[in-house]
Amino acid sequence: MQYFVQLLISGLAIGAIYGLIAMGFAVIYKSTGLVNFAQGEMTMIVAYIAWTVSTTVSGNIFVVSLAAILAAVVLGLVIERVVMRPMLGEPVFATVMVTIGLAVILRSSINFIWDAYPHGLDVGVGRGIVRVGGIGVRTGQIAVITTLLLLLAAIWAFFRYSKTGVAMRAVAADDRTALLMGISATKVHALAWAASSVIAGIGGVFFALSYDLSPAMFQLGLKAFPATILGGLDAVIGSGVGGLLIGLTENLAGGYISSGMKEVAGFAMIIVVLMIRPFGLFGERDIERV
Amino acid sequence: MRNHLATVSLLAAALLSGSAQAADPGVTDTEILIGDVEPLTGPPALLGVAASIGHKIAIAEANNAGGINGRKIKYVLEDDGYVTARTIQGVKKVIEVDKVFAMLGISGSGQSIAVMPVLEKSGIPTVIDVAPVKLLWEPARKNVFVVGQSYEEGIIHLVNYLADKNPGKTWGLITQDDDYGITVRDGFDSVVKAKKLKVVYSGNYKKGQQDFSSDMLQLKESKADVFLAGGIIAENIAMMKELEKLNVKPVTGIFWPGRIEPVLKLMGPAGDGIYAVDYVEPFAGEAGKAFLEKAKPLVTEAEFKGINRYTMTGYAAAKVLLAAIERCGKAVTWACTISELEKTKNVETGVMAPISFGPGVRFSNQKLQIMQADAATLSFKPVQ
Repeated sequence: MQYFVQLLISGLAIGAIYGLIAMGFAVIYKSTGLVNFAQGEMTMIVAYIAWTVSTTVSGNIFVVSLAAILAAVVLGLVIERVVMRPMLGEPVFATVMVTIGLAVILRSSINFIWDAYPHGLDVGVGRGIVRVGGIGVRTGQIAVITTLLLLLAAIWAFFRYSKTGVAMRAVAADDRTALLMGISATKVHALAWAASSVIAGIGGVFFALSYDLSPAMFQLGLKAFPATILGGLDAVIGSGVGGLLIGLTENLAGGYISSGMKEVAGFAMIIVVLMIRPFGLFGERDIERV
Repeated sequence: MRNHLATVSLLAAALLSGSAQAADPGVTDTEILIGDVEPLTGPPALLGVAASIGHKIAIAEANNAGGINGRKIKYVLEDDGYVTARTIQGVKKVIEVDKVFAMLGISGSGQSIAVMPVLEKSGIPTVIDVAPVKLLWEPARKNVFVVGQSYEEGIIHLVNYLADKNPGKTWGLITQDDDYGITVRDGFDSVVKAKKLKVVYSGNYKKGQQDFSSDMLQLKESKADVFLAGGIIAENIAMMKELEKLNVKPVTGIFWPGRIEPVLKLMGPAGDGIYAVDYVEPFAGEAGKAFLEKAKPLVTEAEFKGINRYTMTGYAAAKVLLAAIERCGKAVTWACTISELEKTKNVETGVMAPISFGPGVRFSNQKLQIMQADAATLSFKPVQ
């Protein structure tokens, strides 16, 4: 039982990180209809900025968190304004290719701005180990699971009750009609990129706290993308849940079957789920009038 | 008739000298060009950048001493991003476009193997130092020399040492699912067979895996006393931190690609006492300290921070190549350089055991040593 619980907690912790990044994917897709292939790289950049602040300005958790959030907002807004907005109205394929190009540039920037060495993000908390009945959990792991759950609730309330959230849903549903209703699609897009950058950046910072920072961190995006597909590409909350499910499945397969199955199990689950629900567990079925 | 003969002789001489120049490019009266292709971007830049710094240190040292027989050494470095196709493209570029005289490096093991036909066909003198694997010297190629020790021998040495130190104990192993992992596993298996070791855990993770919670939990459940962590850098860090979380501390061995000092800082107390095998000197030893002292004025501050064990391998290879070129005197040719490289006998570099090649011997077969991590000083110290 202890073995199972340990696998469960570790799976939820890594799954929460996937979930946060997956939510980043979904926020952009829901508002712009675009899959951002630079999501993992944006996550990595925010984590590196947090590390830079912690080593040069202050290692205080509040200072680092605030700086990371601000940096994520700026990063999202700059990418939207400079790279994505000029692509408005262009074919989806071209826009997706732009995000792939952006991913390569952001990935390479790590070596140009920082270095290839692994680094640890030290903010004084998150690395301690809590032991209960022979089960060990890092405080950072508890924090990331809690953060994901809180964010899921907050995002649900945001889309359900706030004016901006409703506007974002309107743009996602039909941007032309939304425009006629006085909603600025460009503002909604900018907000989506900023929000996506912040949510995924939080995942990146938690990953750096629990593991370390390295130029290979962008690969988190590759793990989070299946979580988005599983939860539903247009379902922000579903993507968060999808991350948890992928993390759990990976860990249980790795623990009970073999190490090699760990990376395969999540994808196997996606294939099965998509065969039954092609729009994901929480995604909306696309209905076209013919 | 005599005039015609003289003209023909002159033309033939001119053609011959022309073809000799075309065959041995990269040397002028004032400089010699040395080429290199390394991963300078992406995660493997950790080794590529460090190796290139080692080359630069040896070259700066030679240039500060007046150059090689009056000729300054110029270093041409290309980035391959650890992508094999780009390595081949980069090597072709430095040989055919930049027209370098000799090559150092080159990138990772897979990349070096892939680029071997290009090197062999061109005939350019090459000293490989980053990732020594058997396929690079078996079969021996006339113009390609390898400084280092084979991965397999390294693992055998480490496992033998740990087995002798921990008789009758149970073993665990985890490896990466690629050629590097296969080499580690092959070396491990040969000692397991020879010493009849009891293996209770054997894992194989996918390259790029970042979370090792289930793997290390399995290791804990297996109750392995000795653990060979077959990750490279980030993987070993993640494994050790996971073991710390699970409150277990088996005797652990790691391999030299991950034996860099920043790793110890990231492992924290979990990394204390882990064993490693290598053929270059640890920075905590006298030779390591002397190397750092030597390097400091020759590189920039940023480069100095990027020094790790690969800087030592790069430095040693460059020293051997430059020494061979120097022995050729003023008439530097590929044939002479290759011949002098072959005559390399006990060349001291200060960063590893003396280097030797020989007729038909293209691998320096460096002496190995076991080291142990000291978390307090964040360094590896020799134990054998």
